[in-house]
Amino acid sequence: MATKNAEAHAAVSKKYEWGFATDIEQDFAPKGLSEDTVRYISAKKGEPEWMLDWRLKAFRLWQTLEAPDWAKLNVPPIDYQDAYYYAEPKAKATIASLDELDPEIRRTYEKLGIPIEEQKLLANVAPDAEAGATPPRRVAVDAVFDSVSVATTFREELKRAGVIFLSISEAVREYPELVRKWLGKVVPQRDNYFATLNSAVFSDGTFVYVPEGVRCPMELSTYFRINAENTGQFERTLIVADKGAYVSYLEGCTAPMRDENQLHAAVVELVALDDAEIKYSTVQNWYPGDENGVGGIYNFVTKRALCQGRNSKVSWTQVETGSAITWKYPSCVLAGDESVGEFYSVAVTNNRQQADTGTKMIHLGKNTRSTIVSKGISAGRSDNTYRGLVRVAPTAEGVRNFTQCDSLLLGDQCGAHTVPYIEVRNPSAQIEHEATTSKISEDQLFYAMSRGLDQEAAVRLIVNGFAREVLQQLPMEFAVEAQKLLGISLEGSVG
Amino acid sequence: MSVLELPSTREEGWRWSDPEGIAAAAAMPAGAPVDPAALFLDLPGARIVVRDGVVDRDASDLHRVTLAPVPASDHPLGRQAAGPGWMLHLAEDAVAHPVQVVHLASGGANHLPAEIVLAEDAAAQVVETYAGAGWSNRFLRVRLGRAARLMRAVRLVQDGGFVSLREEAHLGTGASLVTTFLGAGAAGSRIDATLVAGEGAFAEFGGALLTAGEQRQECAVAVRHAEPNGQSHQLWRAVAADRSTASLAARVEVARHAQKTDGEQSLRGLLLQRTATVNLKPELEIFADDVKCAHGATVGELDQRALFYMQSRGIPRGRAQAILTRAFVADALDRIGNETVREAFAADADAWLERVL
Repeated sequence: MATKNAEAHAAVSKKYEWGFATDIEQDFAPKGLSEDTVRYISAKKGEPEWMLDWRLKAFRLWQTLEAPDWAKLNVPPIDYQDAYYYAEPKAKATIASLDELDPEIRRTYEKLGIPIEEQKLLANVAPDAEAGATPPRRVAVDAVFDSVSVATTFREELKRAGVIFLSISEAVREYPELVRKWLGKVVPQRDNYFATLNSAVFSDGTFVYVPEGVRCPMELSTYFRINAENTGQFERTLIVADKGAYVSYLEGCTAPMRDENQLHAAVVELVALDDAEIKYSTVQNWYPGDENGVGGIYNFVTKRALCQGRNSKVSWTQVETGSAITWKYPSCVLAGDESVGEFYSVAVTNNRQQADTGTKMIHLGKNTRSTIVSKGISAGRSDNTYRGLVRVAPTAEGVRNFTQCDSLLLGDQCGAHTVPYIEVRNPSAQIEHEATTSKISEDQLFYAMSRGLDQEAAVRLIVNGFAREVLQQLPMEFAVEAQKLLGISLEGSVG
Repeated sequence: MSVLELPSTREEGWRWSDPEGIAAAAAMPAGAPVDPAALFLDLPGARIVVRDGVVDRDASDLHRVTLAPVPASDHPLGRQAAGPGWMLHLAEDAVAHPVQVVHLASGGANHLPAEIVLAEDAAAQVVETYAGAGWSNRFLRVRLGRAARLMRAVRLVQDGGFVSLREEAHLGTGASLVTTFLGAGAAGSRIDATLVAGEGAFAEFGGALLTAGEQRQECAVAVRHAEPNGQSHQLWRAVAADRSTASLAARVEVARHAQKTDGEQSLRGLLLQRTATVNLKPELEIFADDVKCAHGATVGELDQRALFYMQSRGIPRGRAQAILTRAFVADALDRIGNETVREAFAADADAWLERVL
């Protein structure tokens, strides 16, 4: 039993705090992947005919594709038939109020420290702040447990503002027109192997629509948790910000410790219309496997934003500390004139983790601008790659891009790689790229230690300083979590 | 047809390559022979004339250069240039006069390998010129012993067709290799090189690719630091006009124990028209923790303020553009140590600017 192993792991190493599994009854789809699986998922979710057809089309396409192998990753072959594609907590998924939520799941989320209850505001804010007073910072949460969204909070308040914040399966039922209009528009079904797979079997995820001129009154957040054994999680997130809208969205992930590798192949699509702004922050902390590289999540994610409107803006911030293998490139297609794309990333790899991550900025519109700041930190025997593309189309006048990628190496058994592609087809573009690779200098370390810090604390401090430009971009509560995560991920990497 | 053996552009390292350009060059009809006399520089030493991939013994003055079969390479371009070629082998402490090689192509495909082996403390200079039209494919193997020094300057001034160069160099302890390329002709090109640097070795590999019309030139260079204390500089400049494409892909690899490596890359592209394309890929692959590796890459047009300033001082716009472009290219050509060679290369670059601007 893997649970036993998990306990053993937990006993020898305290490093991955979120490595517990929750014992709840679950409904599984039959193991393996076939058209029947796709039909099963679709039927389970009570989806309309068009949705099923869409999934089947993707599935048939997926069968004709070959798994890509161009990244600087060592991915053992994945047996797609040896996994469950759908796992649902037996407790009824749609519930009237949070009190009806399976107490086991609720305990899980409590252990994870997710502010799932509406009253749980930031510690320094009175829990019953008067409505009408300066609105305290609050976070609406959509929690996804294995394949199913189990709870979405603050729904009423969001509804008053006109913001639609639903799990994607609910959205398919309640707002079919909107979903149909945008689903697969940014990441088409045939985009890549894992996106196609996701299109066929996506189980749940989040749908956000912010109507014209609305500034979303609170941060929206989704928390993903893979619990069941041998399951893959295939969530799909679709965020549409209509003209002049603003939304900030946070995403967090954890999984129990298991010996097997589990696949997480999500698709995230963002659409920003005229003057809209989307801020998308991720703290990714999937189980990274143990020191010897056994187990862990394969995190193969397709994230892309379409800045369709004039003056639109999309900002990606990511802190990647987890996963055995990470393979993702949050991208911006800057189609609208004057649109802005930003990408801030910290990727930490330790032990035998591998990360191949970066961004693509596709400049199509006039005077579009993009900023890329990527910080890679490698320790142990890990490999950390920044791979990015900045492309300027012939029509894109006056493009500006600034790219900075810095790598920090802790130890002499790890690797740091930088693979930036720059393709420019318009002379008015100004593209700048800088990169450095370094280690923590003895002087810095000596100084910090002479002030009374032990070596690990000193390294943590220096690493946090190195990643500061990115951490600053995170919403406050995430920034705190991210700093702690950086420390934990690097534990045992020095000395 | 040998072109079909080349990897497709779907492969990472060949993404910006131009197999159609090579195929077209290989199919070019035979043209008029070119007179090599004007292409030799006023330098003492060996003068080798290569006509369509064959060394013309009667027209050449070999000096220390010998003709013999060169061991083959397994690279897709390199392995096509197998068989007899020219060789320069220098014994310990030997210093040779510059070796000049002029490659003349008159249509069709031609291949030729070469080998340069320098023993401890030997020093050599090699200047190569490519002229004519057709597909010229070359393979060069370089072996440098302890503290050996090789300076190479290569200019591509073919009127049409394609020049593909595959180079594999191995630098011994403290050896130094400085190679400068100038692509100022009308032919397409691919400069494909792998350098392996030993302990404390110094490698400088760079140049300027000037493209116009429908031309496509690219470099795909990897410098691998296998031992500690190595130093490498890759300085490339690309100027693209009309509908041409210039691609620069340069990689620094640092092996696990190659501590104290200092790798530097500077890739800069200048676009003269909006229809032109510049692709850059400054790549780092680092496995050692105590290294200094930095790369800078920029693409853009001429600085409008600098242009305005020069015009305000009475320099016509066209002339100002030429001066600024010339300065941009000069960075790369200034690395050539031999004054005669440097001036000849600068003159070729100027001629190109004159023609295009």
